[in-house]
Amino acid sequence: MNEIRSLEHSTLKVPYEVFNKRYRNAQRVFDVEARHVGTVATEVDNATKKQGVTSGEIDSLLGGMVEKLTTMKRKASEAIAEEVQAAYVCKKRLEHLKEQAAALSEPSTPQVKTGLNQWRKVRLDRMLVEYFLRNGYYDSANKLADARGLRELTNVDIYTVAAEVEAELNSQRTARCLQWCADNKSKLRKLNSTMEFKIRIQEFIELVREDKRLEAVKYAKKHFSTFEEDQLKDIQHCMGMLAFPKDTEVEPYRTLLQPGRWEALVKQFRWEHSRLLHPARLPALPVALQLGLAALNTPQCYSDATRVSACPACQPPLNVLAAALPHAHVSHSRLLCRISRAPLNEHNHPMVLPNGQVYGEKALKEMMKEHGSIICPKTKEVFCMKRVEKVYVM
Amino acid sequence: MDSCLGVEQDLDKALSKFKSLNDNSSKLLQNIIDQVEEIRQEITKHADDTQLTPAQAMLISDLAATVKTTTAQMSTGNYHRELHATVSRVGKSIDRHFIADYASVAPKAESFCNDVNRPIMEQAIAQHLYRQGLEDVGDAFVSEAKITGVERTCTFALLQRCAAALAEGDPSAALNWAERRAHELHNSPLPFTLHRMQALKLAREQGVGAAIEYARRQFPLHAARHERALQAAVCALAWCTPGAGPAPPIYQHLLDPKALGAEAAELFIKEACGLLRLAPLSPLAGGVLAGARVLPALHDIRSKMSHPHVIAAWSDDELPFEVDLGEDGGGYHSVFACPILRQQASEQNPPMRLLCGHVISRDALNKLAMGAKVYPLRLKCPYCPMEQSPSEARQIYFS
Repeated sequence: MNEIRSLEHSTLKVPYEVFNKRYRNAQRVFDVEARHVGTVATEVDNATKKQGVTSGEIDSLLGGMVEKLTTMKRKASEAIAEEVQAAYVCKKRLEHLKEQAAALSEPSTPQVKTGLNQWRKVRLDRMLVEYFLRNGYYDSANKLADARGLRELTNVDIYTVAAEVEAELNSQRTARCLQWCADNKSKLRKLNSTMEFKIRIQEFIELVREDKRLEAVKYAKKHFSTFEEDQLKDIQHCMGMLAFPKDTEVEPYRTLLQPGRWEALVKQFRWEHSRLLHPARLPALPVALQLGLAALNTPQCYSDATRVSACPACQPPLNVLAAALPHAHVSHSRLLCRISRAPLNEHNHPMVLPNGQVYGEKALKEMMKEHGSIICPKTKEVFCMKRVEKVYVM
Repeated sequence: MDSCLGVEQDLDKALSKFKSLNDNSSKLLQNIIDQVEEIRQEITKHADDTQLTPAQAMLISDLAATVKTTTAQMSTGNYHRELHATVSRVGKSIDRHFIADYASVAPKAESFCNDVNRPIMEQAIAQHLYRQGLEDVGDAFVSEAKITGVERTCTFALLQRCAAALAEGDPSAALNWAERRAHELHNSPLPFTLHRMQALKLAREQGVGAAIEYARRQFPLHAARHERALQAAVCALAWCTPGAGPAPPIYQHLLDPKALGAEAAELFIKEACGLLRLAPLSPLAGGVLAGARVLPALHDIRSKMSHPHVIAAWSDDELPFEVDLGEDGGGYHSVFACPILRQQASEQNPPMRLLCGHVISRDALNKLAMGAKVYPLRLKCPYCPMEQSPSEARQIYFS
């Protein structure tokens, strides 16, 4: 298994969902336009059967038919162009993924390694953009994508609709959200989404708030009559609300009338929207970060004496998060010299000072050259080289 | 690579089908339009109020029928509708070649998104953005996510800007920085790399003459330490003249400003961070880099572990196995694993050095001592013939 296979599913799947949606739209265009042409053709056919039809009449009918056919031709090619464009987005991302795959399989020259590091930087930026989008930080996502030239490799453009709907919901307007529900009706139903129902309830509540109770009843008649089994209770609560004043203290009507419900709607919309696009519940960033911290996590990350400035798990703010995570599993020792940060092995023997502290042979020799004695960096005790002994770690 | 190729194959198939469909539908419809127009011209030859002859009526009625069947065929028949299979095959291919539910191996990741931990993670994100020198993005994020307590300025952002300029092919900012710290960098390959880049840049922009002059001024200082690289750089100038043929492969990377810039940027960050004792990766980047290495390994093992006995391995205090994080992906701490118990040492179970110098953990030492029946207790080092009393072993510190 490799990193691409593990992490990049949504990189391709999201534009694919767009491609799939465009395909359905295109099919609808074909259906509608063919029906239009069909109607005109029937008219022409009927006209020819009529007695004494003149060439003028037929000519205008045929003119209409040409017009419809031209529209069909134009619309069909537009729809197909959109499909192809969506497919090219997938293709573009695939090319980007292949760059890394190619680099991994090549021998590791410094140039290839630089390329790989570059690619990983881009991956982190992509993950950040995805995280921003899925948490509603649209402005940050756009800015980051623009700053790094990542519009095509990330889903910022796909999420513009979501940003608009959320802005509307935040200013307590529902039209765009209902439109979105209608556009994705079949998929939302498959996921058992309650989005539309919740919006309808909110509209009802707003009518009650404005004391337009009769209109509210009418609204309820129109929209609540096709309810699902488990929604009955909510509807009962709504209807019960009609009996109370709008500043009632009685539950559950008081909670129903609270403005905080709009925020909940925004949150629900955000969740439903990403559920529609992404198969994975979480964005890649927290997942990778959590596992990464777990893999870097050592018992030494939590005491001031043994912290390392470069270790992500040692430094705030992530230190707090790492504390709750498992430690890395280590079955073979992996030793570093605390002075030079170089690995300790047969070329740089681990040496123990009389106080039990272990450092690398090379760093100690260097220290010897400079100061003429060994000063333990940790305890500041001074030793001579003779008292330093070798340590054998299997 | 295989996964990419697999999806690409299906995607290419879909693309070519859609393209040919587009040509085909345009042609088909244009064909019908032409036919209709032809008949219209035929009819308009007569005056507007002449009646249609039965033959004409027949012709037009036939035409209407063809129009109807052709367009109906395009909508309901095996035309655009047929491509459904091709499209959904792309989706299935993505599902097959990539792992959709990558989060299932990280049950704790959910906790990073709750209200307590999310702000902490987002702090780290903001820190990362500022470190990258992306103040605009960082500001936008801090205000959108309502983050507090992140410092906007950091020394690293300055380095990052020099590195970004390097990657763009402009070494002047980095040269300035290196100039100021020349005495600390005399053992580093950085100054030469930067001068080399500047010389090659001059060669591209102002001609080989200017480059040679620059090289004469700057290169001799580095001649001793970078002889081969220096020779290569000067040789590469030969292909900088206008009209020079394609360079041989060993000089190509010297002549590609982008690759050279990226390489210099990386070296710059590494050397500057070493000098200033900064971490070359932000905590977020370091964590994610390691995580990306762990994920595939976890997926791998999960695919092998469907057996109920194995579920116990998903315990809470350790990852179930060891992952090699690569040269630059981990290894921030010394970790001593007892060679006998194959376990990470801890405060309760610290490393002990035997008289002979071999190191084992205290638990292992105690176990060995228990095995000895003769009193006073003697134990033999598991790795060499030396014998000693357990009390002679000494605790040592790797970190």
